[in-house]
Amino acid sequence: MFTSLFYLGIILSLLGFILPLLQLENKGKTSRRISYALSILSSISFLAFSILSFGEKAGYIIPLYSNGGLIDFSFYIDRLSAFFIAVISIVSLSSAVYSIEYGEHIAHVRRKNYLASLLNLFALSMVLAVASYNTLCFIFFWEILSMSSFIFVLFEYEKPGTRKAALYYFIMTQMSTLFLMLGFFGLYANTCADTCSFIIQPLTSAPQNLSLIFISLFIGFSIKAGVVPFHKWLPYAHPAAPSSISAMMSGVMIKVAIYGLIRFTYTVLPKEDWWGILILVAGTLSAILGVIYALKEHDIKRLLAYHSIENIGIILIGLGLYLIYSANNLPKLATIAFAAALFHTLNHALFKSLLFLTAGSVVSATGERNIEEFGGLIKTMPYTAFLFLVGAVSISGLPPFNGFVSELMIFQAFFGSYLIQDPLVKSLLVVCLSVFALTSALAAACFVKAFGITFLAVPRSESARNAKEVGKYMIAGASIPAALCMGLGIFSLQIFSFIGYETDLPDMLFMGLLLTVIYAISYMILKQASANKESVGETWGCGMTNLSGRTEYTASGFSQPIVRFFKDIYRTNEESERSFYDKQNTLFKGGKGEIHLIKFFEEKLYDPIAGAINKISIRVSGLENWNLDSYILYAFIAVLATVAYVGWIA
Amino acid sequence: MSLDQVICAAINAGLILAVSPFYMGLVRKTKALCQGRRGPPLLQPYYNLAKLLKKERIYSENSSRIMKATPYINITAIIAAAFFIPVAVLTLPSYGLGNIILFLYLLALAKFFMALAGLDAGSTFGGMSSSREMSISSIIEPITIMVFAALVYTLHTLNFYDMFSQTTSMQTFFQPALLLISIPLFIVLIVETARVPVDNPETHLELTMVHEGMLLEYTGRDLVLMELSNAIKQTLFMAVLINVILPWGLTTEISAPSILFSAFAFLAKGAILAVLLGLFESTIAKMRLFALPGLFALAFFFSVLTVCLEVFA
Repeated sequence: MFTSLFYLGIILSLLGFILPLLQLENKGKTSRRISYALSILSSISFLAFSILSFGEKAGYIIPLYSNGGLIDFSFYIDRLSAFFIAVISIVSLSSAVYSIEYGEHIAHVRRKNYLASLLNLFALSMVLAVASYNTLCFIFFWEILSMSSFIFVLFEYEKPGTRKAALYYFIMTQMSTLFLMLGFFGLYANTCADTCSFIIQPLTSAPQNLSLIFISLFIGFSIKAGVVPFHKWLPYAHPAAPSSISAMMSGVMIKVAIYGLIRFTYTVLPKEDWWGILILVAGTLSAILGVIYALKEHDIKRLLAYHSIENIGIILIGLGLYLIYSANNLPKLATIAFAAALFHTLNHALFKSLLFLTAGSVVSATGERNIEEFGGLIKTMPYTAFLFLVGAVSISGLPPFNGFVSELMIFQAFFGSYLIQDPLVKSLLVVCLSVFALTSALAAACFVKAFGITFLAVPRSESARNAKEVGKYMIAGASIPAALCMGLGIFSLQIFSFIGYETDLPDMLFMGLLLTVIYAISYMILKQASANKESVGETWGCGMTNLSGRTEYTASGFSQPIVRFFKDIYRTNEESERSFYDKQNTLFKGGKGEIHLIKFFEEKLYDPIAGAINKISIRVSGLENWNLDSYILYAFIAVLATVAYVGWIA
Repeated sequence: MSLDQVICAAINAGLILAVSPFYMGLVRKTKALCQGRRGPPLLQPYYNLAKLLKKERIYSENSSRIMKATPYINITAIIAAAFFIPVAVLTLPSYGLGNIILFLYLLALAKFFMALAGLDAGSTFGGMSSSREMSISSIIEPITIMVFAALVYTLHTLNFYDMFSQTTSMQTFFQPALLLISIPLFIVLIVETARVPVDNPETHLELTMVHEGMLLEYTGRDLVLMELSNAIKQTLFMAVLINVILPWGLTTEISAPSILFSAFAFLAKGAILAVLLGLFESTIAKMRLFALPGLFALAFFFSVLTVCLEVFA
């Protein structure tokens, strides 16, 4: 059996985790290189394992350790978990290859070793979380996952802003665990009819408090996935981590939450009709707000983090449509929506890790994260530019790349809504459809900005002018997802029919051929028919010569019309003060103008809650007055309350 | 069998490619006549393209390969999109040809690279035009999708070939739902082809510059490709509109005389629409950029109205 590959992956990862920890002060590259090699090998063995398991029709259990009681580390592999293991291992593979070189750019020796070590742990905990067979095991690896990524967020703790990011991340991730535990206890209580167990399996009958369990699981997983309005940690935490880790956090860590959502609410719980609508609306909201905030953002890594919110929204749209269509007895549309959600999960993992890795290359080559400081990098960093372009085209959902295929499937699922009976659900789907179309168009605009301002035209700063192309490992690491982006797009139909899913999607292989033929023919015809003269001149500048980077269009200028169209959503606050020499206000003396972006969710939702909790804790801490008498009083009240509870209520 | 269908699609695409500059010339001629000028000859766009082919290409020193590759990517995507719209021969769809989403996203692919090319030379005009183009296109996109959703809701298919074979075989003279769709479709046509009141294709003024600004740095055969792809794009949207309201003449029979006949029918219908476009452009003034959402909201209203008709029918 190929389960040995699974054990092999675990052992290799653990070795790779321990090895650099033993020699934290070691300056030599060797141990780190071995650790990355182990991580690459373990990813490959997990990938092979998952692909082989995908061929199995029925799920099977892999026991690891059990004390006979509650503690039971056993894993359950079916097609769903195999799929997610494959996604995780592809991204950790490319991140590990990338880190071989990227890790050496980090200034501190200890941190270099920590990166190599924790990368293994991080990847392993994600694989084991999606493979878990019981909820305790799931929570265990979920927490290892949260803690290892928390350390990565704090990696550059001396930088301003990092600690705020880490605090946000820590609190949000603990909230997520809290809600999950609540949901899991609800599940546990419901299995107690025959024997209490933590095993993740479909419930035979509808549990009590079904809605409560669903809501707490949904909130728990939404926080981790970054669904609006629980998204605020994402744009803080992802940019703070090292780029290879941002790729994994954005590419796959938030997908573990998607896995949890599918596993627990779709297979374990008996489904109810309104869930689909809730998930669809949450997804649509995340998709549109994610991309709208991304447009305004000029920190390249934060921009990508906002796009993760958008794409998680798109995945949720697919999942929501699946539930709605299943509730309406339209199995064909339900399948296409579900396949779209899963395919987009894979696609987003690929192009987002690709974009984060190449953005990391740009950041380490220039030392800047603000795209207003870049420009012209396509000439100094041609390979990175090409790879970023592949990612940008994929994420914008343009044919023939993979992002297009999953968006096409979602559109097809949406367009099938004329078959639904209920006019209200139909109208909701139409509204969500138009918002989804807006999302994908804005994403294209945002990536024209991100690619155009970063890589094209003239450098805007000294650091961009002196940028050098990164080395071969960093390029190789990013090339893996780039190749897959192209391959999965073009061979999508063939892949679907290979895994046994027949659809009426357009044949992208044919489209690819058609595009190539047209390209070749038009190139050849024009080469024959036209004058083959070419020369180089200056850009036309209305008579001005020697245009510099200062006269170029900026990223803020680029997104300005869109910001103005959507000013109600951005809630910008514009203030201006002017003073004049004369009373008639004609001779301008001076003044200032300010534009503030109101952080709506932070100011209206997070801060009030945090403030309320703060107030309560100040009150509560007032009870603790270092006086023995009052402590005895508290104990007495507690005993009374217990007696009262046991006596009267229970 | 499906090879036949691909060949038929290629015939359609070839026809679109051939007649596109003529419609451009016709719109220009109509506008000139409205303004009391005689205007250039109808075939002037062809002469322009032929002349441009002989010119040398000049690239800005700041530009990169994106600038050189974009004209080819553009024409490739747009000609591929032309395979999706039946203008002369109507066959069964094959390989996903005719899928409306793929059609729209091929156009989006062309637009994406054109906007990148606008930024590539480092000129402020190019950047401004790219910015405007992407802004306008991102707010017209939901409307375009709604128009197509309205078509899907009315005709229950996602494929242009299936759609138009339904409209062709319709017994009633005009279907009210389709007439309603044609209003937003006309607005989408105007926006997508950068015409007044959204943009003015005839000027290179800063105020009106949307589409033309991105082409400022193009010369020689690259400019031929960019102009041609713009002309084809206009014909594509015209063809969708024509096939929705006036589909008669489209043939399903694969024989030389019937194809020729329907090609001429399309040429005539297209000519009428082009004259209408020219008249429309002459009677309306250019809108301010930030007043455009109002126009788009109008299109959105009509498409949602159509969808509502179908939803609550």
